[in-house]
Amino acid sequence: MYSKTNLSRFAAGALAAASLLASTAAFAGEVTVWCWDPNFNVAIMKEAAARYSAKHPETTFNIVDFAKADVEQKLQTALSSGTTDALPDIVLIEDYGAQKYLQSFPGAFAELSSKVDFSGFAPYKVQLMTMDGAVYGMPFDSGVTGLYYRKDYLEQAGFKPEDMQDLTWDRFIEIGKQVEAKTGKKMLGLDVNDAGFVRILMQSAGGWYFDKDGNLSIENNAALKAALETEQKILQANIHKPAAGWTEWVATFTSGDVATVTTGVWITGTVKAQADQSGKWGVAPIPKLNVEGASHASNLGGSSWYVTASSAEKDEAIDFLNEVYAKDVDFYQKILTERGAVGSLMAARNGPAYSEADAFFGGEKVWQNFSDWLAKVPAVNYGVFTNEVDTAVTAHLPSLGQGAPIDDVLKAVDSQAQGQIQ
Amino acid sequence: MAAGKTGGLKRYYDLNGWLFVAPSLLLIAIFLVYPILRSLYLSFFAGKGMMMKFAGFGNVVRLWNDPVFLQALTNTVTFFIIQVPIMITLALMLAAVLNNDKLKFIGFFRTAIFLPCVASLVAYSVLFKSMFSVDGVVNSALLAIGLISTPIGWLTEPFWAKVLVILAITWRWTGYNMIFYLAALQNVDKSIYEAARIDGVPAWARFVYITVPMLKPVILFTTIISTIGTIQLFDEVYNLTEGRGGPANATLTLSLYIYNLTFRFMPSFGYAATISYVIVLMVALLSFLQFYAARDRS
Repeated sequence: MYSKTNLSRFAAGALAAASLLASTAAFAGEVTVWCWDPNFNVAIMKEAAARYSAKHPETTFNIVDFAKADVEQKLQTALSSGTTDALPDIVLIEDYGAQKYLQSFPGAFAELSSKVDFSGFAPYKVQLMTMDGAVYGMPFDSGVTGLYYRKDYLEQAGFKPEDMQDLTWDRFIEIGKQVEAKTGKKMLGLDVNDAGFVRILMQSAGGWYFDKDGNLSIENNAALKAALETEQKILQANIHKPAAGWTEWVATFTSGDVATVTTGVWITGTVKAQADQSGKWGVAPIPKLNVEGASHASNLGGSSWYVTASSAEKDEAIDFLNEVYAKDVDFYQKILTERGAVGSLMAARNGPAYSEADAFFGGEKVWQNFSDWLAKVPAVNYGVFTNEVDTAVTAHLPSLGQGAPIDDVLKAVDSQAQGQIQ
Repeated sequence: MAAGKTGGLKRYYDLNGWLFVAPSLLLIAIFLVYPILRSLYLSFFAGKGMMMKFAGFGNVVRLWNDPVFLQALTNTVTFFIIQVPIMITLALMLAAVLNNDKLKFIGFFRTAIFLPCVASLVAYSVLFKSMFSVDGVVNSALLAIGLISTPIGWLTEPFWAKVLVILAITWRWTGYNMIFYLAALQNVDKSIYEAARIDGVPAWARFVYITVPMLKPVILFTTIISTIGTIQLFDEVYNLTEGRGGPANATLTLSLYIYNLTFRFMPSFGYAATISYVIVLMVALLSFLQFYAARDRS
């Protein structure tokens, strides 16, 4: 009896010791990553991790998936409290917020410019993560924009795919009126609590809420003014279906209620998820504003990877990002085909996946188009207060619909923004 | 000496008493008193994130010039001035009705009206959001019975968004207040009502002149609790508007603004702390006013 108990005790002890050893050995090289979309950046990070682990078996990954707002809140709390234990090794940050984190928490993120060659990335992407000449992030997905349109609805209204190329927003509104008259469908869904549409238009003309030096630029901002004018024309022409919040907005086109969607390329996965709409969609460059510097290329959202400076696995994390995200062209082909992710590494566009035709879009070479537009996205300074000014613009969108003069709206936005950015 | 002995015993009991409460006092000091003092200290600093500098009363000056703060303050005050009286009156009337022994299925009605306040704040907000969307159940129902001809933009028009928030919190909390009144009504002597009935006092007068005065202390208590709750309103507006307080800042409350200043915007911890002290002052002032208005004049 005694010997049996002792034996089992010994066995248990040995097991415990073995598992302890195993867990410490694994921990030595575990890279923790925070990101937010299980069908997009989480899945992509898992793919990247698998590629790196295949060559470096001693490195393991712990990819933590939670809501974007929670990632931001947790990051901001950990950085402010100074408890670096709570931070991951790599964190995904949306591009609009990059400068906010870099400037309000100096020294919190590792500088990568000495270890990574950034010349191969889309320039606008590198610029937004640069502070005092040093680059602090690894560019990831781009939000290059396109005009997704329902070929079947437009055809009923008498428009061919050629008619959708090289549009102006005024022409877009005219088409919208005819589409509604002939098909009863609205031209686009608009979330009145979100200024994303205004941001797309503004950046397409090379403008932002801030000038090159990061100073607030509202009242004399031609691009912003033109963007607001366009939104007002659309609201007053009533060719839009109003939506409150993201889910409702997405439902406007997944349900087939609207004829077009103007947004970032990352929406492709959601559009393609409606298998019954296959072959009915086309993609054109977004319409152009009627101001100097206007183009058909813009950006919405997009995010990048940052390594925390306090991380114990800092060098490992940087090496991982450099090896996969800055060099592996094949990786970019896979995430494009599987997840619809257009990376910002320019070399990736020469890969085979980018030149493939997509049956969902009636055999169009949509990826080649998107990567062409990506190279043309005007670089702007997102500054540190994009969220604040965006809130100010959002707050004044309803008055826009009621016909308030644009100059008054700009003045009101300016005064609210001034109060916020100090 | 006898006196010395008692003194020693007293000291012994005192010491023991303090030792027993020391752990909780310590915890209260660390997790309640310290944060309160620390946030007061913080409210004198300004800057981006961790780059804070002493600013004196700079944050208070900023309050005056910040249109968003004034809007949030106006919204918060509007919410409690309109919502609290509606809810208290509704709860009182429901309690008076459900205190009637002759009513059938009384247990069912009481439970049904109380049930909303057991629901999770987030869950019911999400539910309201979907019910009140442009082509949600509520708009469809109103259109079907012909009350409206075009769908109401519950979450897209500033006025209706405020109405929706008031509807939501009233739905959630009326039953909760009703339970307080029901409990208090059990202590009201039935013979008072009987006497009033014999004297021919109509039902409405019995309600106004007997029920309400008898419940005065409970009404005061629930009014204060509801006022504090409404001033701190956060969960509902956060979930109904995806944290933005839209449309046009129409549902932005002080608490939501504090949250945004800390977690969504460039972190201004000092300014956020200043606004939280505005809430403290408002709660203190309003509670005092309510106590003053309902004081015993005898």
